[in-house]
Amino acid sequence: MNLIRSEWTKLRTVRSTWIAALSAVAAGVALSVLGATDLLSASPSDLPAGWDPTSASLKGFLFAQLIIGMLGALSVTPEFGTGMVGTSMVFVPSRSRLLAAKAAVVAAIGLAVGLVTTLLSFTVVQLMLKSAGLPAAGVADPGVAGALVGAALYLTLVALIGLAVGALARSATTSLAVLVGALLLVPALGPSLPGVLGDLFGRLWPITAGQSAYTVVPVDGMVAPVTGLIVLTLAAVGVSVAGHAVFRLRDV
Amino acid sequence: MKKLESRPPEGVEVKARGLTKRYGAKLAVDDLSFTARPGVVTGFLGPNGAGKSTTMRMLFGLSRPTAGTITIGGRRLTDLEDPARSVGALLDARAVHPHRTAADHLLAFTQAAGLDRSRVGEVLDLVGLTSAAGRRAGEFSLGMQQRLGIATALLGDPGVLVLDEPLNGLDPEGIRWMRTLMRDLARQGRTILFSSHLMSELELTADDVIVVGQGRLIAETTLARFVEDNTTQAVTVRAAAPDALARALSEAGVIFAMQPDSSFLVTGTDTSTVGKIAAAEGIALDELVRVRESLEDVFLRLTHDVTEYGSHTS
Repeated sequence: MNLIRSEWTKLRTVRSTWIAALSAVAAGVALSVLGATDLLSASPSDLPAGWDPTSASLKGFLFAQLIIGMLGALSVTPEFGTGMVGTSMVFVPSRSRLLAAKAAVVAAIGLAVGLVTTLLSFTVVQLMLKSAGLPAAGVADPGVAGALVGAALYLTLVALIGLAVGALARSATTSLAVLVGALLLVPALGPSLPGVLGDLFGRLWPITAGQSAYTVVPVDGMVAPVTGLIVLTLAAVGVSVAGHAVFRLRDV
Repeated sequence: MKKLESRPPEGVEVKARGLTKRYGAKLAVDDLSFTARPGVVTGFLGPNGAGKSTTMRMLFGLSRPTAGTITIGGRRLTDLEDPARSVGALLDARAVHPHRTAADHLLAFTQAAGLDRSRVGEVLDLVGLTSAAGRRAGEFSLGMQQRLGIATALLGDPGVLVLDEPLNGLDPEGIRWMRTLMRDLARQGRTILFSSHLMSELELTADDVIVVGQGRLIAETTLARFVEDNTTQAVTVRAAAPDALARALSEAGVIFAMQPDSSFLVTGTDTSTVGKIAAAEGIALDELVRVRESLEDVFLRLTHDVTEYGSHTS
């Protein structure tokens, strides 16, 4: 508990944490609203079959996830950048405990920021849809509450992946490059790879798979929500194990 | 939350045995053995690149020795139950987040060590940074960062303090403050080990010295002994009749050299011997002075010899 308190102090006492948290929420909600505006002039009959008002209200995740991933990375990279990690390791010689405390705090922040981003985006966009006379989703509708929880968990896992990437890369710029690749480029370009590879990346790239967690209506070519969350969780565990091994063994 | 007990801090030995660190083909630390005792200030001296920081990083478990051990009271840092109460470290004064305030920086480590948060104010007061508590560490001068680093090292009131170049970047007042602090802490029974690449920084502070060059131990002794053993005795002597003096010196079999001002530099002997040689020949002396190499010169000569030796054997 002492260690978690210490790591929370480290994060809350630098401005970058709050800037990242606020901009994740702001960018997430703003882009979700923007993504929904071009629907507003449509009539309900224009909407494709199987249109999902819940996932349609969370388009801002595309960018919010990147900031949340960086929030995770920034919980460790400045310590390497300044060398403060050395002092941390003198106070906490068990590097595993040190990293676990960071992970606990990052998960909590990721979950909080994820929940706020999700609920704000969902609420604002559903209000817009309703006022435009379009079908809107309500939290009480079947599957919607689960999708919203899935959305917040998705962002939490991305924050933890960011932390692991930060522990591996030890630099904020490298972490950003890796996260842009993993969160944006591969999901965008992967499906266009030829044959089996395209199919594999289109369905099972952990980020792509994880995004099924916040769908209510099943999407063709996407894994089921729970499967998606499991795939993303496994990926997060995988990079965390790698990040932990490097953090524990490498000289600083 | 633990309050600090008012027990006197327990200094224990910091001991390196056969400590070796290899980076690729380069031996940064080469079979180094030494002991820093409780109750005294031990200076860890060597030119830049001699392996001082690498040695300290191995002490703190930040890098792994290729061979050998370095322990605190016989235990590795990772085996200590309460590391913050046992050892305080100043690694690099600039190793602070530039946007975090001094007080918040200290608070994070106070919590990590499970100490009462009142320690933050106490150590800030101790290092004279109370008025700067709310300022960001990035705005600090190097001297203030050194003080913040010392405050961090003292949080757990540890019995052993290991400080990497603590006098670096301090103004003369700061240097005097740090010297007094180290001496006071040692007098309380703590073990103080601090590194420096300047002999002059040690002269007024250290009781013991550990001198390293190229990762190897050159000397491990008390400062007084180190001075006595390594400063060569030399005498400058001048007479109105230099020729007669030269003859007398040469007959006495001492080593001497004529200097441009027609005085003689006599080595390997002392003033009284030279005086007697002159008196025996009835030569009146105008000048008879003992000269001593400065410690800085001794240090440079010793570490230079190691460099030479290293380049011959490699």
